[in-house]
Amino acid sequence: MSRFGNLLMSAILCGCTYTLVAIGYCLFFGVLDVVVFCCGDIAIFGAFSITGAFTIIWSAGVFQAVPMIVAVLILLVVASILCAVLGLITYRISVKPFEKSSALMPLLSTIALGVVIKEVLGLIFQPVVNNIAKGVVRVDDPKTVVGGRNPQSMPQLIATGGSTLTRNLIIIIVVALILMALFFFLNKTKLGLSMQAISQNKELALMTGVNVKSCIRWTFIIGGVLLAIGGFLLGNYQTIIRFDGGTMYGTKGFAAAVVGGLKSTWGAVIGGMLLGFVEVFTAGLIPGGTKFQNVIAFIVVIIFIVFKPEGIIGEKVAEKV
Amino acid sequence: MMKQKDGKVNTMKNKKFLDSPFAVILCNLILFFLVYFVVISDYVVSLAIMAVVILAILLVNRYNLVNKIFDLYIRHKKTALISGLILGIIYPFSLTDNVYVAHIATLAVIYGIACLGLNFQMGSTDMTNFAPAAFMGIGAYSVAIASVNMGLSPWIGMLGGLVLSGVFGFLIGLPTLKTKGYYLSLVTMAIQLAFTELVRIWPYVGGDDGLSGVQRYKLFGFELYKRYTIFGIRMSPQIPYLLLCIAFLVLCTYIAMRVYFSRTGIAMNTVAQDEIAADCLGINVSRTKLFAFVIGGVYCGLAGTLFAGLEGYAGPATYNFQKSLMLICMVILGGMDNSIGVVLGAFILAIITEKLRDFADFQQLIYGAILVVMLIVRPDGIIPWRVRNHDLITKRKPKIIEKLGESTDIAAKAELKSEV
Repeated sequence: MSRFGNLLMSAILCGCTYTLVAIGYCLFFGVLDVVVFCCGDIAIFGAFSITGAFTIIWSAGVFQAVPMIVAVLILLVVASILCAVLGLITYRISVKPFEKSSALMPLLSTIALGVVIKEVLGLIFQPVVNNIAKGVVRVDDPKTVVGGRNPQSMPQLIATGGSTLTRNLIIIIVVALILMALFFFLNKTKLGLSMQAISQNKELALMTGVNVKSCIRWTFIIGGVLLAIGGFLLGNYQTIIRFDGGTMYGTKGFAAAVVGGLKSTWGAVIGGMLLGFVEVFTAGLIPGGTKFQNVIAFIVVIIFIVFKPEGIIGEKVAEKV
Repeated sequence: MMKQKDGKVNTMKNKKFLDSPFAVILCNLILFFLVYFVVISDYVVSLAIMAVVILAILLVNRYNLVNKIFDLYIRHKKTALISGLILGIIYPFSLTDNVYVAHIATLAVIYGIACLGLNFQMGSTDMTNFAPAAFMGIGAYSVAIASVNMGLSPWIGMLGGLVLSGVFGFLIGLPTLKTKGYYLSLVTMAIQLAFTELVRIWPYVGGDDGLSGVQRYKLFGFELYKRYTIFGIRMSPQIPYLLLCIAFLVLCTYIAMRVYFSRTGIAMNTVAQDEIAADCLGINVSRTKLFAFVIGGVYCGLAGTLFAGLEGYAGPATYNFQKSLMLICMVILGGMDNSIGVVLGAFILAIITEKLRDFADFQQLIYGAILVVMLIVRPDGIIPWRVRNHDLITKRKPKIIEKLGESTDIAAKAELKSEV
């Protein structure tokens, strides 16, 4: 029983991390009808910015002065702002120039931008953080920063000193809270409703007085914040982050979004959970299945795309001539 | 490049120059020396030359000169082919003893073949395939398995690789009949990632370490990867192999051109423009798509078999998602749906990659940055696709012009001319 319980727990956790990225994809796809493929890299950027900010803030002595939870919130705010800015930059560079061209152009462009983000992170993370730490705090030797290219250990900020179980429970609860907040936002606030309107019919939304441009910008800001939190939770769950982890993470998130149905946020949750369960249970129950962990997810995705391309939740759209 | 500009000035004075076979030979010579200097010089110089050439092409393209040169090549097909072949044979020998340079040149040619294959899918049919490296991997691994695990000749491995990659292309092509756009991209992406993972965990093909010790190709007992001394000059070992690769590249380019100008090529472009319209016109859409995938797969498989023969090794790290991105980047840089442009893009990026080997950390960054910038600034690539002109190929005067000679009505003449 305990083994099965462990598997269940890690399946849910894995699903949670995929869900957050998948929701990022769904938000962008819903509003813009394009796939913004660097979601995974933005999330990893969020995780790295938390690590960097942690080094600086810890050296500045903030953690020692205020309660843990406040300090973590400060870190999250910093990372969210950085990720939101990165989201806006993504929109400016890789999505907006291709509004009128074929839908595959932004896909390619965002993949390329993801590579750029990843590589820049690997190259300049260490020197930049070191120099900022030196400049701000006058520490000559901030020891916690290892080069961005190496696997970077993520500071354990959730339930420090507690058991892994507590940490895992906190992660699941945080994801659930975020999901509730997101559904409240999408269905009850004016901005969320106008985002849904744009998703359904852009021209009509424009005519009824929705400010489409600012709405799109807000989508990217909200997506960035979500992805930052996703990166934070992922880093805490895996305890180690790699600068090139975003490709796999992003592809799996996209796969989850497609399995669930690209236009629906609930679909993203279901798809993410399904993918997490399939992966973890293949690794755990089939002997020698650990090797096939990554392959099985892609096989599931291919099967889904071929037989049910509109996803679990998602209506079939006939193509208009 | 200066010479080309001179050629342009000449054209202004004397229009006939652009129509003579000498212009073709001149262009070939200029290309030859450009490639030679870019390959052989130090990385700073070679990057500088490439930057200048790209800028010059972009500048010259504004006056539509690139198109005129293309027309010229098509009109004087034989002269272009013969002079090109002679230069192509001389080229490997000009590299002499420089092993590293010969290696770069061979790599560039092999990538050119792979990009031609990818172009069938990405350029002609507008289906973004994110798995060209997987096709290359299939070719390379079949050569490796044939020669290392089974002890057969690598040529049998190559044949097997071509067949396998064709079949694999067909299998990947099947889901594309039902999906399109993002879904197709995701399928190919998933296949690419799954391929790398599967190869990594399959002990028969060496797992993470890959298969090393692949036999070199031999032709009638004549070893293709060996130092030879010709006219007292010691050649680097890749030279005969480079000749083989160039022969394959020429063959592949020729086939690609024939496909491009054939009915299938037009059908592919129609499918790319509008699938429903193509269906209405009586084009067999699924057949066309499958054809693009199979022929593209075979091209990439061929590139893979040649790659394994060059490196003597096939491993999972060589055929991963990054390699696919690199190939896509080459196609977009060179110009989609234009065989010459695609090969040009492959040459440029392959040489940049190899010349910047000392800065290996920056490689991916360079691809990413080139892609982002290219897509914004010039999504059509350095040499964009041309408007089809069939009269040039058939070399026959269009019937409409023959009629024109008989007609006396000047207004009708003008109208007909504008139609032509």
